[in-house]
Amino acid sequence: MSGAVTVNGREHELEPGETVERLLERLGLGARYALVERNGDPVERAAYGRVALTPGDRLVVARPVAGG
Amino acid sequence: MDDRLTIAGREFSSRLITGTGKYETFEVMRDAVAASGCEMVTVAVRRIDLDAGDEENILDFLPEEVLLLPNTAGCETAEEAVRVARLARAGGLPDWIKLEVIPDPRHLLPDPVETLRAAEILVADGFTVLPYMLPDPVLARKLAAAGCATVMPLAAPIGTGRGLRLRDSIRIMIEEAEVPVVVDAGLGSPSHAAEAMELGADAVLVNTAIARADDPVTMARAFRLAVEAGRAGRLAGIMDEQATAQPSSPVGGLVTQP
Repeated sequence: MSGAVTVNGREHELEPGETVERLLERLGLGARYALVERNGDPVERAAYGRVALTPGDRLVVARPVAGG
Repeated sequence: MDDRLTIAGREFSSRLITGTGKYETFEVMRDAVAASGCEMVTVAVRRIDLDAGDEENILDFLPEEVLLLPNTAGCETAEEAVRVARLARAGGLPDWIKLEVIPDPRHLLPDPVETLRAAEILVADGFTVLPYMLPDPVLARKLAAAGCATVMPLAAPIGTGRGLRLRDSIRIMIEEAEVPVVVDAGLGSPSHAAEAMELGADAVLVNTAIARADDPVTMARAFRLAVEAGRAGRLAGIMDEQATAQPSSPVGGLVTQP
């Protein structure tokens, strides 16, 4: 067991060494559209493949939507 | 005629900015954006619903050459707006931000103090900031001094379509403008947009009036033409109003004279 993170308030078990990019893939979210905040700090898109997640991390995953 | 709009050093041929909200489908939005001729569109940022499955993504329906302007709609404080702007930029959206700080859900009127505070933080952080505001010439001066790229006064509350209700304040803002004035919100018909441009606005931002029209694509074209007409009229020099009638035909040489 690698522990869990929360994504938009819901718990998700981590895989060993899981990065932001890998988690997005596993959640079925195209990394192209996802905007990610980790523990209150925005994650740079270029770092999605490098940032390894830690148990207890709180993630917010957002995306652009229609709006004025 | 070369009459480009320049915002933060970037040139635009179109003086119409459109919002992407409230369309029935992304296909209609795409076609309306094309018909409007606009070169900048607003988008909102929201949490992904992890249960929603494979949803269509708005970015797939917007051409590359159209500049995305993320907004901070839904934010009620400066801190919330700064958080959304930073999330959008980190995730690859442009570092341009339509700053909206709106604590009042009934009238959707922006908080001037929090807007100014957020603008100062975001400008210092390298953002190009386009703040939505009540038409207040004093606040406009402060936002411009803080480094905002435009000021964006509302004509009337968001989504009301009531036109230039705050015309006199917007006129003063235009007279004193140090940065482009974009009239944003409340424009309900093409004539409202033309009126704003004749008044001297540098651009207008329209969403509901196009998206909720019976035929959004045709309405988008109508707004495009209205913005062009209003701008051309402004540049051409609009006649002064006269208190009494002035004949357009010669007063002498009448056929019927004795």
